[in-house]
Amino acid sequence: MKRLVIAVAVLALAGCGGEAVVPEGQGAHGHGASTAAPPVPAASARFNDADVTFVQMMVDHLQLGISLSQVGLAKATKQEAKDLAAAIDSTQREELTMLKSWLKLWGKPETGGADLHAAHGGQPLLDDKVINETKDKSGAEFDLVFLNLMAGHQGAGVAMALTEKKDGMNPETVAYAERVTTTRQGQVEQMLKVMGGS
Amino acid sequence: MKIMRKAALVLAAVPAIVMITPVGSASAHGYVSSPASRSAQCARGDVSVDLCGQAKYEPQSAEGPKGLKNCSGANGAFAPLDNDGLPWKVTNTGQTLSLTWTFTARHVTRDYEYFIGGTRVGYVSGNNAQPNNPTTHTINLGGFSGRQKLYAIWNIGDTVNAFYSCIDLNITGGGGTTPPPTSSTTTPPPVTTTTTTSPQQPPAGGTWAANTSYAVGSTVTYGGSTYRCRQAHTSLTGWEPPNVAALWEKI
Repeated sequence: MKRLVIAVAVLALAGCGGEAVVPEGQGAHGHGASTAAPPVPAASARFNDADVTFVQMMVDHLQLGISLSQVGLAKATKQEAKDLAAAIDSTQREELTMLKSWLKLWGKPETGGADLHAAHGGQPLLDDKVINETKDKSGAEFDLVFLNLMAGHQGAGVAMALTEKKDGMNPETVAYAERVTTTRQGQVEQMLKVMGGS
Repeated sequence: MKIMRKAALVLAAVPAIVMITPVGSASAHGYVSSPASRSAQCARGDVSVDLCGQAKYEPQSAEGPKGLKNCSGANGAFAPLDNDGLPWKVTNTGQTLSLTWTFTARHVTRDYEYFIGGTRVGYVSGNNAQPNNPTTHTINLGGFSGRQKLYAIWNIGDTVNAFYSCIDLNITGGGGTTPPPTSSTTTPPPVTTTTTTSPQQPPAGGTWAANTSYAVGSTVTYGGSTYRCRQAHTSLTGWEPPNVAALWEKI
């Protein structure tokens, strides 16, 4: 508790200086490997609404990605698609555990409620119905639908992470957003290649 | 808990600043992924980030008002997409072309339009419904031939905006045949092959690297430690072994 008091005091002194904590313009490069966090880092107590919103949205986003990955794992015919589905599934489970622990630490619920998506563009690509409908496809058509949906979903994750890098202040959350940016962009790159558009 | 409540009060002061940033600055959207549009070429690294800018990370966000004929949606962050001088890959095609869209959000759709110059060569109604999965259209290129830039436009049903994708084409023949060009000096680049995009095979026990295919059991070094691959995958920046215990086990 004492540590929390200190953290709060620091925040109070810093006022609204979120931008002083998280340097502007940290691009996609030069911030990755050397500062990489351990698998389940604790998030510090300095955070703002953008951090909370991002983490809550990511919890939902990760869960939808895991659901789609499991269908991909079961039904994809291309080995690259299957491997990527498996890797997305397992890495996002790790991320989910980490993010839920942060929300618990912050005393925030795991979901931001129905308004959250509406306030951030609405009409998300994936829902349970869309994911279930992919199960009716097979062969090359399934691969295309799966890769196409996953590329879109992970691309939306990049956009969420870019917003967090701009507006967030919690160092661990901003570092996670950087990792989301690079890993999802890399996944989209792989999926576009596997889809094989000339 | 009292302290927690105080913390909440202090923190409540922060959002007032944060909320000035417009939300809905739109993460939503779409682009033509096959054949690879200029946006897709940025996202998959065919054209470098130095040239592409933001399109590498948000290929789906070349958004602008309806009715334009450009590749960026007149959206400054995506201006490189309008630059015909960048090394865009050109797709060889006959008169019939199939295109697939990748969406990051399922906007209600007015319609899709395809233009070469000022000529609309394709139109598909969206019925003011959400897009299908997948959304693939087959269009006829209207007798155009040679090197052409196709504007693919997704007109949204419930906003004033559209999303823009450009596809560079080399159109041959009529009726879908693809005779070879007669002039060798102006031969456009051939259809992209995937041979250059295959992940590299790792040297045994080498240093971890991105864009490398790792099999279960393979070992790498990273940051002075050795890791064993737990799950077959192609590595990515951000998936360095210490970041992803699901993929790498420290030994």
